[in-house]
This record gives sequence, C-alpha cells and structure tokens, in this order.
Amino acid sequence: MSNVEEFPLTGRVLTEYEALITSAPTALDAIPGAVYVCDHEGWLVRYNAEAAELWGRQPSLSAPRERFCGSERLFLPDGALLEHQDCPMAKAVKNGVSTRNAEVIIERPDGSRIFALVNIRPLRDHRGEIQGAINCFQDISQQKRIEAEVIRKSKDLEDFFENSAIGLHIVSAAGIILRANKAELELLGYTADEYVGRHIAEFHADPPVIGDILDRLSCGKKLDRYPARLRARDGSIKHVLITSNSRFDDGKFVNTRCFTTDVTSLYESEDARRESEERLSATYQAATIGIAESDANGRLLRVNDAFCTMLGRSREQLLTMTFLDYTHEDDRGEEARSYARQVNGEIDTYAIRKRAVKPDGTVVYLDVYSSTVRDHVGRFRYGVRVLLDVTDAKHMDDRLRESEQHMRDLLEALPAAVYTTDAEGRITFFNKAAVEMAGRTPQIGDKWCVTWRLYRPDGTYLPHDQCPMAVALKEDRPVRGEQAVAERPDGTRVPFIPYPTPLHDVAGNLVGAVNMLVDISDREKAAEYAERLAAIVRFSDDAIVSKDTQGIIQTWNRGAERLFGYSAEEVIGKPINILIPPDRQDEEPGILERIRRDEHIDHYETVRIRKDGTVIDVSLTVSPLKDARGRVVGASKIARDITERRRSEEHRKLLINELNHRVKNTLATVQSLAAQTFRGVNASQDFGRFQSRLVALARAHDVLTRESWQGADLQEVLHATINPICVEPQQRVEASGPPIRLRPKMALALSMAFHELCTNAAKYGALTNDGGLIKVSWHVSDSESVSHLHLQWEEIGGPSVKVPARTGFGTRLLERALARELGGKVDLVFAPNGVRFHIEAPLA
Amino acid sequence: MTERRLRVLVVEDESMIAMLIEDSLGDLGHEVVAIASRMQEALDIARKGQFDIAIIDVNLDGEPSYPVADVLAERNVPFIFATGYGSKGLDTKYSNIPLLTKPFLDSELETALVQISKEV
Repeated sequence: MSNVEEFPLTGRVLTEYEALITSAPTALDAIPGAVYVCDHEGWLVRYNAEAAELWGRQPSLSAPRERFCGSERLFLPDGALLEHQDCPMAKAVKNGVSTRNAEVIIERPDGSRIFALVNIRPLRDHRGEIQGAINCFQDISQQKRIEAEVIRKSKDLEDFFENSAIGLHIVSAAGIILRANKAELELLGYTADEYVGRHIAEFHADPPVIGDILDRLSCGKKLDRYPARLRARDGSIKHVLITSNSRFDDGKFVNTRCFTTDVTSLYESEDARRESEERLSATYQAATIGIAESDANGRLLRVNDAFCTMLGRSREQLLTMTFLDYTHEDDRGEEARSYARQVNGEIDTYAIRKRAVKPDGTVVYLDVYSSTVRDHVGRFRYGVRVLLDVTDAKHMDDRLRESEQHMRDLLEALPAAVYTTDAEGRITFFNKAAVEMAGRTPQIGDKWCVTWRLYRPDGTYLPHDQCPMAVALKEDRPVRGEQAVAERPDGTRVPFIPYPTPLHDVAGNLVGAVNMLVDISDREKAAEYAERLAAIVRFSDDAIVSKDTQGIIQTWNRGAERLFGYSAEEVIGKPINILIPPDRQDEEPGILERIRRDEHIDHYETVRIRKDGTVIDVSLTVSPLKDARGRVVGASKIARDITERRRSEEHRKLLINELNHRVKNTLATVQSLAAQTFRGVNASQDFGRFQSRLVALARAHDVLTRESWQGADLQEVLHATINPICVEPQQRVEASGPPIRLRPKMALALSMAFHELCTNAAKYGALTNDGGLIKVSWHVSDSESVSHLHLQWEEIGGPSVKVPARTGFGTRLLERALARELGGKVDLVFAPNGVRFHIEAPLA
Repeated sequence: MTERRLRVLVVEDESMIAMLIEDSLGDLGHEVVAIASRMQEALDIARKGQFDIAIIDVNLDGEPSYPVADVLAERNVPFIFATGYGSKGLDTKYSNIPLLTKPFLDSELETALVQISKEV
C-alpha cells in the first residue's frame, strides 16, 4: 500500500502487520467484528475480544502457541471436519490466498456451533513478503438459519403447490396456463401437456365468467371463492371456486395464481340439500301433521300451518306460548316431566298422547312425538315436536272399544255358549251359557276349549289341542260340520256342534278365534222325536198329506193311500184338487189363503172324492208347514174318513129324537091318564101340582136332549124349569154365576129342585106380591181335587115367611132326596124375610 | 082367555093325548071339531074341514106331519105344532110356527092359542 510507505522508518513507515502488532493489544477490540492476526508461520499473534467470544475460548498467544485458528474445531458448511492447517487462514499465510466470504462452522469447547463468514487477507511487507494474515469473521448463524428456513419453505411451497389437495394453476398475463399442479390436473382429468400452454378460457364453461375473472385480475383485484364452471376432459362440468391474485412486477401484470376448489360434489350435495330443504320446508308447511320447534322452556319457536289448525290458534298467538299452555290440565304434568327429561338429555325422544284445548273449549287428542336437536357439542338446542291429531282416531278407538263392549254384552246375552281365544288359543272371554254348558267356570288363559273333557261322537277321547277350535287356529280356517261331546265334571255329557272361526285384524293377521258351541242334545231328541213322528205318520189310519203353497202334493202316507185309493207314486207332484169334488173346488183357494196367513184349520168337515169316484165325508185338519226361518212353505193336511161317524151320528140323533118323542108322548099319556082319573074329583089343585112337576121334569129332558144327553147348562136348566111357572121371569128372577155344565143326573135333580122352590115362591113367597125377587147365584170352588158347585136360592121382598107346619113333598125333595141324589149338602131355611136354600155338591 | 070360541082340528095319533088336548081345549072354552090320527085322514080334513085352528102333532106314527101343515098354510088356516122333540126337532121351514112341547100345561096351550089367534 502506497500510503504505508509514505511513513519514515524512525520514522520508518510501519507495515500493516507491524502496525497491527505494535498497536496496543486492545486496539483490535475497537474493530466491530471478530478479528485475529497470524504471523507468517501461522502462529496466532493477536485477536480481539469479539473473536474470543465467537470461539468461546481465549487461545494462548505465548507457548504453547496455536496456529491458524483460535477455534476449538472447524468444519466445512457441509459438516466435514476442517483441520486447522487446511483452513483458509493457513492457505493465506502459506500461499498468500485471500478468502472472501467463505463459510465455516466453528465449534466451541462447549460443543455449540456457529456459522462464520470468513474474510482473510495476507499481510505483506514492503517487499511483498508475507508477514502474516488477518482474518475478520462474523457470526452468520442467524442468517444461515433464516436461509435454511427459506429453503425449506420454498421446498414446502413447491411441495404444497405440487401436492396440494387444492387445484392450483398459474396463468400468464396473456391468459396462457403456465403451470398446473397434480390436483388441478386430476380434477379436470388432463395431463400436464394437454393443459399447460393452453389458454385458460378454453377450459371454462361460461365465457362471460372467465372474461370477468381475467378482467378483474388484470385490474389487480383479488378473487375470493369466485364460482365458475370448468370443463373436464371427459366432458363433465366441474363446479369450482376460484381464489386468485395477481403478481405484478414494477406495476406490470405478470401472472395470476389461481386456487381451484372443486365444489362439484358440494354443489351436488348442496343442490340436494337445498332441494330437500325446500321439500322439507314445503312439507313443513303443507304437512297435515303439525310440526313445531320449541326452546328448553317449551316456548314455541316455529310452527307450521297444520300445527296452527290443529290447535285452533294463529301462528302469532302460538309463538307467544309454550306447548303446556294449551295442554289439557290433566295431561300437563306428564308432558312437562317428559320434556324436562328430554331437555336434560336423559332421553332423546318421547311420545305422548295428550289432550289439547282449543280456544273455543273443544278438546282434541294429539299424538306428540318430541325429539331433540343438539348443537355440535351435544347440548340441547331445541325440541322438534311432531303432532298428529288423533281425535277422530281416538273417537274411532272409543267407538271400537264401545262396540267391542257391545259385542261382549251381546255375546254374554247370547243363549249359546260362546268363547274367544287369542292367536295362541288362550281363552280371553266366555259367556254364561259357556259356563252352563261346560259345567265349570273356565279360567282366562286356559287353552283351546272351555269344556272340561272332550270326546268324539264315537266316544273316543279328544285331546283339547286337537279340538275343532285348535284346528281352526292352527290352520287359520273356520271349521264346520264337526261334532263333539263335552263331558262336565259331574260326568254328564253334552253333544254339541262347534263353530270355531278365526279372527283377523285389518292387516289380515290372525289375532284369535271365536267359537260357538251349539248344544244339540235337544236336536238329538228332536231327531228321535221326528223319527217317532214319521213312524206315526207312516202307520196312521188317517190320511196325512203335505202340499206346497201352490197346492201340489208333496207327501202321501199309507193312510192316504187307503182313504183316497191313490198310491203315493200316482199323486205326488199333482195338485190336491184331484181329491176335491167339482162343486167344492172353490174351497181350496180359501184353505190355501188361510194357510199362507199362517192359520191353522181344525176339523173342517167336507167331502172328497176317491180314486174310484166315490164320495167320502172327511174331517180335515190343516196346519201350515214352515221352514227354519218361519216362512210358510206349505201345509200338512190330516184327513179322517167321517162317513161312518156321520152316519152313526145321524142315526144316534134319530134314535134320540125318536126316544124323546116316545118319552114325551108317554109322559103326556100319563098326564092324560091322571087327568081322566082325577076328573070330577075335587082334586084339581093336587092335579095341577102333579101336572106342573111332570112338565118340569119333561123340560129338563128337553134341555138334555138338545145336548144329546151329554150335559146341560145350569142357567138353561133354571130357565126351562121356572119359566112355565113364573110370570115375567126376566123381572123377577136374578140369575148370576159362571157358565156351568151339569151332568144329566145333576141337571134333572136341580131342575126338580128349582121347580119346587119356584112353585113355593109362587104360592107363598117372593112371587106372590109385586115387588118380590128371587136371586139365584152360584160359583165353583176348586179347593179340593174335585170341583164343587155352590148354589144359593134367596127370596127377598116377599111376604114374611112361616115355617110350614108339615113336611111336604117339596121340602122332602129339597132336604133329603136332593142331597142323596147329588152326594152333597143342602140347607133350606124358612127365614122370616125370605126362603134361603143352599146346595153344595161335587160337579163330577 | 081367547075372546071367541075356537073350532079346533087336532091331529094326534095317541088317543090318550088327543083326549087330554080335547079336555084342555074344552076347559078353555073351545070346541074340537075333529081329531085325526092318520095322515090321510088328517090331510082330508085339513083340505075340506071347517075349523078355525089346528093343533098338529109333528110325528104321526113315525111320519112327519108337515104335508098337513102345508095344506093348512095354503088355506091360510093357523096352526100350532105339538111335539115331544122340542123346538130343535122341528123343520126350520116352520120355525115361526108356535110350538107346544109335550107334555104341556093348560096355561101353555092357552098362551099358544092367544098368540096364534092374534096373528090371524
């Protein structure tokens, strides 16, 4: 350096090396930076404090001396050990090589390392000989760290660019794609060659969109999640969001960096979500089910139309209320408890049927399904309430229950044994008739049958699980036409026909069965009875014929064959008219008409024609024949040949008349004889009495003859007897009592008694004045096994009565003969105010 | 008592009874103009005889005496039936004719006569 030489030696000018060596040791400390100096052999001769600090040690400058570097150890930046004799300082003192901005790593005695930037210059004397070298070095660890970080970061960025999940591309100012990452290429399905180098607009589906994007970017505006549609290689359209900014250099638009976020699936799901939300929303409002949201206190936050309709309140009203406000007070507690548990998170959902009261007071039944919507940490956000108006269903349910009860009542009242079981055959219901028939009270839950023991009609044992009811349930079909015998605990047996019928719910599932047991003991008796009846019909002497309502002959027994001469084959299917004489054809329509009216015709006497044309007198009894439902389907006719009977009856009548005629003539002859005998004798009074008694006897005969001597009516006997004696009998005699039929002997005896009493009354008693009255009254007592006649003759309003001095014929007849004749008791009293006579005698 | 003396035909096959009727009529102040005991005889008298009234026994020896009644009805001569049958024994054709049931009392005979003569 020229300026160094300008200094004189003794003033001689010092070299740089000499100047550094001769200066005060602390002079180097003034230099900002680490500095050390070595001599021409490399021995350390000077260093400053900063150098010692970076080295972390104080190298010794006197023996033992150190060469080339004061550090503990040195390494190259790549980590290789750098021996001190090979370090840049060594090269500087040995070869005069300067080092500019070399990097080494210094290791301190404590093992820590620092990056050092080294600058070394050899120091020469005036002749150019190397006197030593100076090394200025500085700690660049921090810079190195930053640098490493930068490198790592850019590497990361590159990696990020390349491997990012998000599509990235860089577009030049001209719109040419400069670069695209894997994600971008994968998103669109292109190779780098197909994509890079092309104009970005080629890949956009919407020209106005890319136009707008490029415009914005060229103006320096950022794009943040700008929606666009890109065309993929396979032709599909990808929905993307573009986030982009522009790079400008010196105000010049260089390129854009674009992030492409694929939101296609998001779009699709968003579409789907929107659609479903729209649908939900539409549903929410249009739903016939009520939907509402409520907060933790039950306050309604949102309600749909159906909800409002159901509760009969406007949305505005409801949104000021809690759902408990309109809940029927009886149901409030339960609902409140359930909701509290839901809000507390004890339960997620609950369902409840409750009553709600509308503003007009009407009550509706609601089925409420309450569920919880939670936030992301699981806390209760709001309750979703779905409401169903089940009032109608409830009413239907009630009606169903009612009708079920009604049905049970009906079944209970049914006179036939009825029981029901569930699908497993367990008895769920039985009526009283079932208990009666089974002879025991079944237990609810018993299986298959209410009976105690079962037998088949042939007498073999029938286990309950094989009974017709069990079959009906197991095979799910009604069982008909079976018959069984139930044995009661007392050993009696009842034959019956079961009618088991499976029951199904509306869905057609088997839910049980109902069985009716029809006791056929009666039917068996009836069958037996019918058999006997058929035998009677078969062998009856009477003609027994049935005909339909049109008069067509249906059945014809042997009696009919005998009576009418036709065989069954000849007449069955023919009209009954063939038996009716031409002049009596009009009888049949009348009979048929009466039969159709369900009338019974008893002993209708008429005339019919036999097959041989002869006429017979018949007595017909015609009865309607009915089917099981009670409709008249024809008639049964019993015809009895009465020709003989009629003939003998006529003969008998003739005989009686003849006899009567003779008896009467005889009596009249007796009368004549008496009259001739006593004529002229002053005995006309006695004759009169005789004549009168004779006539009375004859009158009683008349009454009896009219009845063919079968008997006579008491009142008729009374009147026939007293009318010839008593003037105006209607006014003077008061007869009262029930109609009584007297046997002939009694009729004659009473007739004689009435005659004597009446004659006496006409002579001495009630008939002698104008106001007297005879009261005759009678009744029958049934107190004993034989009916007794009690008859009272009582005279009132006549003159006062005297007891006759002697017992005449009349008195004797009344008091003795009559009692004997009738086997009864008589009582004759000549009371002063009128004669009283009482008789009590057995009627039979 | 009837107001006038009636001339009576008695048709009766039992002589004792005819006698009784004759006496009774006599006691009542009437006159028996003829007693017929055979059908033919009765018919003859009925056709030709002169009398005010007739008492006819219904059964003449086992034969109904209706032909006699028919003749009398034709001649407009009133008559009374006398019978042992009672009213049921009489043909319904003559149900409006007074009937005496044998044996009868004088009073009954009188009643019948009063009744018939009123109708005449």
